[in-house]
Amino acid sequence: MPKVVHHPAYGRYDLGPEHPFSPGRIDMVLDLLRELGVALEPVEATPATVEDLLGVHAEDYVRAVEAASAGGTAADLASFGLGTADNPIVPGMGEAARWLAGGTLHGARMIAAGDAELVLQLGGGFHHARHCLASGFCLYNDLALAIRHLVSRRKRVAYLDLDVHHGDGVQEIFYTDEDVLTLSFHESGEYLFPGTGWPHELGQGMGRGLKLNVPLEPFTEGDSYFNALEKVSVPALDFFRPDVLVVQCGADAHHLDPLADLMLTTQDFERIFRFVLGLAEQYAGGRALFTLGGGYSMRVTPRVWAILYLVLHGLPIPEALPAAWLERWRDRLGSPSLATLHDGAEPYPAVPRRGEITRQNAMMVDRLLDAVARYWL
Amino acid sequence: MLVREIMHPDPVSIGPDTPIERAAAIMREGNIRHLPVVEGVRLVGVVTDRDLRLATSSLSARPCAPSAPVREVMSHPVETTHPLDPIEVAARVMRELKIGCLPVLDGSRLVGIVTGVDILDALLQLTGVERPSGRIEVRLVDQPGELARLTALLGEQKLNIHSILSYPDGEHRGRTVLRVGTMDVRALAERLCDAGFEVLWPPVQPCRR
Repeated sequence: MPKVVHHPAYGRYDLGPEHPFSPGRIDMVLDLLRELGVALEPVEATPATVEDLLGVHAEDYVRAVEAASAGGTAADLASFGLGTADNPIVPGMGEAARWLAGGTLHGARMIAAGDAELVLQLGGGFHHARHCLASGFCLYNDLALAIRHLVSRRKRVAYLDLDVHHGDGVQEIFYTDEDVLTLSFHESGEYLFPGTGWPHELGQGMGRGLKLNVPLEPFTEGDSYFNALEKVSVPALDFFRPDVLVVQCGADAHHLDPLADLMLTTQDFERIFRFVLGLAEQYAGGRALFTLGGGYSMRVTPRVWAILYLVLHGLPIPEALPAAWLERWRDRLGSPSLATLHDGAEPYPAVPRRGEITRQNAMMVDRLLDAVARYWL
Repeated sequence: MLVREIMHPDPVSIGPDTPIERAAAIMREGNIRHLPVVEGVRLVGVVTDRDLRLATSSLSARPCAPSAPVREVMSHPVETTHPLDPIEVAARVMRELKIGCLPVLDGSRLVGIVTGVDILDALLQLTGVERPSGRIEVRLVDQPGELARLTALLGEQKLNIHSILSYPDGEHRGRTVLRVGTMDVRALAERLCDAGFEVLWPPVQPCRR
């Protein structure tokens, strides 16, 4: 059975009532799972220490975050990406981010020690945080922290980023690392934050050929997405032979997400999660650490992550949403009222450029595989 | 952006009596395609790898021996540019004359060289993503104050502009592409719409395009 990691302190990572990265999303998932009759007994971890963080972040950056978090002022907060619209300075944010990072790190420790094979961290996924820069709602890169720990225990790690935004922070931190494969599937940087994640970003030095990016056209639908995922991840994992998979499960590639433009449905997410679980079994001895990530529609994100939980636990996907849950979160869910865990039939109008988008994505995959082929000899 | 910001300073040059085979070897070793030809301190010509290959090819009308001096195959007189010329002027000259490089002269002294590839690098710098940022594209009416109104609105939202690029789009319109320091460009797009701007990206509703 998968181990689930969560701590109530995750809720303290709250960047303000107007900010899209709401801790309410996790509350809604936990409540939905309980209402669906799931016996949730999560493992609670301790916060990551400053020393843990120094494995992936610069010391002056960590000091700046902690100082700002404690209400102090440090020089050059802006140069660390702090105090911006996306990363406002909020009291206690450093400690909250360390609680979340500690959870993901604990998942990695359990896997490295052989105490767990599958871990689901119900939080985290801060893939934009860079070595020396807060970015895209992220302060501390919990994924990089987990990967660093696994590598220190001589594990080869394949990182798979399903968030609709490029996993630029994780890629940057392991850009020259030969023990870490990063794979990111995202809406093209031509249209979406952070603007990077191109097929020519292949890694440097010993890491060359081990950092793969698949930028997808806006309005890409499930079948074209899945085709890209399958065509790239299978040969990459077959070549790399990881010991552990680390998966960032952002839900913002859904068609209703307010921050991005891909067109996945909850059914597509279920298919993707089952496929990734299969990859973990086939290529990583069943060892995988799943985290949450982006996902900014309150109507969607809790349902996608509940499906993730159910798939990882091999539980059936119920059809109906519990009435008590719908009632409790009525204000956040908005209208029209929801009834089912999955999206309804024909959830969005037909995409007029479907053929063109599908062809362009397929060509992108071919070009990436061509570019990387010589590093895989 | 000025030529001196993108040029290669102190370029490798050769004399007019240098044998073609020696010039070809210099190009190969330096992984370069253009060599200014200098006599004393005076720039007298330019040779490209194409000049050398054609001159020694049986396809040439007047084939040269590899030992022939480059003065026989070099281009002259030479089109040049100045370190303080804007790069768009240098690009215009190269485009119109269909040439691949411009030696950079300060007075009569050779101080650098710019090639087509340097112009491409400049384009990458102008359009590139230096910091994580979202993209917004707006069609502006070509009249005073429109860009100011746009950037003032971004300033009010405390959004940093990382790069800004404008180009004409039909009569009396211009497209402006901004890279701004936020993930949430949709919220920004809605505000811009409310303020009467024609937002081309992001779509305010899915599939609007």
